[in-house]
Amino acid sequence: MSVDSFKFLPRLIEMFYKMTEIETSGTIPWTPLKKPVLDSRFGLVTSAGLYNKTEDQPFNLKRELEEPTWGDPTARKISRSVSREAIGVSHLHLNTRPILDDPNIVLPLERFEQLERIGAIGGIADTHFSLMGYQGFPPDTSTWRSKTGPWIADSFKAEAVDCVLLTPA
Amino acid sequence: MARTLEEAGFATILVTMMPYWAKKIGTPRTLAVEHPFGHTLGRPGDRDGQMNILREALQALETIRQPGEIVHSTARWDQPTDEAVRAWQPSEPSPIIRELRPKFREMLREHRRK
Repeated sequence: MSVDSFKFLPRLIEMFYKMTEIETSGTIPWTPLKKPVLDSRFGLVTSAGLYNKTEDQPFNLKRELEEPTWGDPTARKISRSVSREAIGVSHLHLNTRPILDDPNIVLPLERFEQLERIGAIGGIADTHFSLMGYQGFPPDTSTWRSKTGPWIADSFKAEAVDCVLLTPA
Repeated sequence: MARTLEEAGFATILVTMMPYWAKKIGTPRTLAVEHPFGHTLGRPGDRDGQMNILREALQALETIRQPGEIVHSTARWDQPTDEAVRAWQPSEPSPIIRELRPKFREMLREHRRK
């Protein structure tokens, strides 16, 4: 059975989404797996608006409140050794409580450490990333493509990452 | 972002509640999950449930051969839908929803009249 994208959306937001024009482009990029998953090193990227309270600023929600058609296009580094208590969530489109209770529901660091321990994957990077998913209305992902994405890619390359798990919230 | 990282030389797997958008955008490999927003991998504290979704994601990463393919998870959310819809939303509507709500309400009314 197919997943219903609109099952948990109020009608108003469903309509909002269906009216949202997004850029579609022709060819879908493709990087084949270089080795089996159990030998591959993973990087994690969520768009749940996570940040490390002890090292970083939250996403710029102040500007979004003043300018609702704008969304912060930057990213925050999240170290694999971050403590749960250090994780903050800045996102105006979600109830952030469940994520604060257990960040693994959007950034599964503890689960990936488990997978690493049992040998189901080759390993995980030391540094992972969070974005804040709301990119304005209509959405503008040009900064993600031109700056934020390459910044994340450079870090993953420096850590010999093979595969990336992306978990929008 | 999945496309940008795939272009940069990483094999990506996206886990999403919105296969509707994944299909439009053309994400390379996708696992669709029928979960409320903010709960991509499951419930807080449910290690086994989270792990099951991750195993499905890793399997999709390994088995998808066709760019743009979307695998649909068979896992279902065990909570009354209206309760789940209320629970994932912020206590205050987001700024853009607050701004556009009157306009949308009017459009919905139009739509119902037709």
